[in-house]
Amino acid sequence: MAVVREIGGPLTWIALPTATPALPGVAAWRGRAIAVADLAAVLGAGERLASPTGRVRTLYLQHGASTLAVPVDTVREPLALSDDDIRPARIRTDAFCMGEADVEGHTTLVVDLGVLLEGYRPAVASGPR
Amino acid sequence: MDLARKSVGIVHVHDPRVHWSVRAAQVMRIAAAAAEWHAPTVDMLAMIGAPATPRNTALRVVIVREASGRDIALLAAGPIDVADVDPSDVLPLPAALAASAPYISAIVVARDGSLSLLLEPSTVTFAEDTVLGEELCPSRS
Repeated sequence: MAVVREIGGPLTWIALPTATPALPGVAAWRGRAIAVADLAAVLGAGERLASPTGRVRTLYLQHGASTLAVPVDTVREPLALSDDDIRPARIRTDAFCMGEADVEGHTTLVVDLGVLLEGYRPAVASGPR
Repeated sequence: MDLARKSVGIVHVHDPRVHWSVRAAQVMRIAAAAAEWHAPTVDMLAMIGAPATPRNTALRVVIVREASGRDIALLAAGPIDVADVDPSDVLPLPAALAASAPYISAIVVARDGSLSLLLEPSTVTFAEDTVLGEELCPSRS
């Protein structure tokens, strides 16, 4: 499961012509280049990212050896949920949906971004040679 | 900047499609206008999936020489500048993306924080005698 390493401000990133909608580009973070994930593209909802700017906040996620930047509109607060608080997802049934939980009276989708991003990595291409 | 480390000369092209760069050490010359360059040219961004350069875009040609001695003329749509950057500002692509981007080796972080794609012209291969991008050369249109 992906782990949140840092929550930052707006992100500057650059689009890769070879990239997929879900991982559209790259950003610099702590002296290295990391992939940028576009949740709007993955979820099929909301306004897609447009380089070079991201959103108001950026989540930096560690997933295995990879670090990913995920621009988001808002970060509220960390919540501690027990397994009992998460029920099977009915809103969506994608592989990245761990379930749903009630947060402040709203049904909230709980996602495992690690699973999500694994599924949306670009296929290895031989290149247009 | 660590002055003990040798800076890297970079030629930046502010292409409206996406900013890109090549190592200055590879650049032999920059022709003022593609129309004055009579050899085949390569639009590397188009080769890797970006839209082709519009024919009415002001173009220059960046001629790079690869290790084998072959010269490749790259179409450059947009202003060009040359800068020295710290080696730590040349960041290799993450493994998750590198495999799908064989012509891009890194991103370059400019002093103003803007980013560009570092292209590797040496990865360009030609199928037999066909010259990729030749049809994009305004001098042949």
